[in-house]
Amino acid sequence: MSDDNGLWLLALGPTGAAALYWAIYRYYRNTDKSHAFERETEVVAKPVTGSDRKIDEVKGTQRTRIDGDNLRAYRQRVTRIRGDDG
Amino acid sequence: MSTPHRPAPPPLPPVPPVSGPGSPQEVPPLPGTFPVDPATLPDAIREEIEAPDPVALDTAAAELKDGLNRCPKCGATDIRHKPGSDVLVCLYCRNEWVGARVEEEFGLGEGLDQLRGTVIASGARAIDADVASLMTFKCTGCGAEVMVNTESTMTARCHWCRHVFGVNEQIANGAVPDAVLPFRIKKDDAVARIRQFVDKRRLFALKAFKDEFSPENVVGVYLPYMIVDGNASAELAGKGEILTRTYTRGTDKNKKTYYDADVYQVERAVDFTVDDLPLESSRERGNLDVKVNTQNIINTILPFDTKNAVKWNASYLSGFTSEKRDTDVEQLRPRLEDQLLSIARAQVEGSVHRYDRGVRWEQERLDVHGTRWVSMYLPVWLYSYHQPGKNGGLLHYIAVNGRTGETMGSVPVQQWKLLLTALTVGTFLEGIALWIIWAGA
Ligand SMILES: [Zn+2]
Ligand SMILES: [Zn+2]
Repeated sequence: MSDDNGLWLLALGPTGAAALYWAIYRYYRNTDKSHAFERETEVVAKPVTGSDRKIDEVKGTQRTRIDGDNLRAYRQRVTRIRGDDG
Repeated sequence: MSTPHRPAPPPLPPVPPVSGPGSPQEVPPLPGTFPVDPATLPDAIREEIEAPDPVALDTAAAELKDGLNRCPKCGATDIRHKPGSDVLVCLYCRNEWVGARVEEEFGLGEGLDQLRGTVIASGARAIDADVASLMTFKCTGCGAEVMVNTESTMTARCHWCRHVFGVNEQIANGAVPDAVLPFRIKKDDAVARIRQFVDKRRLFALKAFKDEFSPENVVGVYLPYMIVDGNASAELAGKGEILTRTYTRGTDKNKKTYYDADVYQVERAVDFTVDDLPLESSRERGNLDVKVNTQNIINTILPFDTKNAVKWNASYLSGFTSEKRDTDVEQLRPRLEDQLLSIARAQVEGSVHRYDRGVRWEQERLDVHGTRWVSMYLPVWLYSYHQPGKNGGLLHYIAVNGRTGETMGSVPVQQWKLLLTALTVGTFLEGIALWIIWAGA
């Protein structure tokens, strides 16, 4: 933004309208609903194991989160490694 | 600064995406959440959203059809399912009984972590394409021969003596399920729940839908599912970031915030078992593309108390319709693996909380050590409404879980009315924005 006059406030109308449209649309059509099997299935898990290794540093980024954060996007698939055997 | 102009009306995306935000591919929102603070909405909308859910009715028995099969005590065929329970009643001798629970009968609850390979119950075997769907049965009531089209139905009535009989073990090849979970929610209760659901969504509902709305037309349907137990290991690899410093740069008028972070290579592994994961085993029902259908509504009312399922007995089907399974274990395996990976991702989330700037998983690996598949009929009350439109329109469902009463639906929207309201609210907000800017100038 190149100004300090609060002109960003002009976005209030369009974003407010779009947010309301989508909120009500989903309230009626429920396109975003599905069986939440991640939290509704009976899962018994052994303790999680793993490793953490520092490999790099980031300096002076303006991002508030890591690029491509998918920690909570459980259903978003990433590269699948296929081994010969379990 | 010159006087700001009122911007053009906001572009409103007309169709929700197939995948990503707003689709069933996204982890669904928690129940009862609404993305906009209702307090900021006009009264009529707020009241509709905040209206309490009235308690649904649970009235006395409605009439059900004749029974089928034979009473284990007296041999009479006049058997019916006692509504609201899992019990079968013999109308001749009043004997009551419940089919054996498959959980104990097949030992389904045990040894999940010992599962190896693929265990397939007899009813979950691959469907033999050679089997003709038209079958002839000899009526056990009067001896007449009756033809049944098993493509469309799993129960039939003898034209001569009105004895109802079921397509029990007569059909081999996996077309008959292993187990059935009887309806517990009665029709009146389902009607009441559907009415409540729609009552809370009237303001912007399609006028034709409201005019034609008649929840009494709800039908009880047994839908085919595969209930899967699994024993698996998953491994994940990716990057995580931990914040080390936050600072601002720039002049007073142009301040920007910057972050420093440490980057880690993160690896996680977890061994786990899942118990009774339900997968739609009808191709159509399993297609959750919200752009072309509303099957995600039926998916949403999962799960069921599948532990209470009883051994397949066609007696439970009288008075209801049923759909047949048309996918086999091998065709469902990719969906199972996808869900196991999602579950693994959810399981490890708690172990990476130290990465306060989040984690980007880049690789995942799944080893399925063993699975057990049971084919089951699950009870659903379905109210459907066909919305005319291009490409044959859209079939909207309102579904009630026949055991838990969980209700979900898709109500067609009167687009122009919703757009007009959104634009009106947007214009009002814009007015406030302009006033603030004007006052601050
Ligand atoms: Zn009897
Ligand atoms: Zn007969």
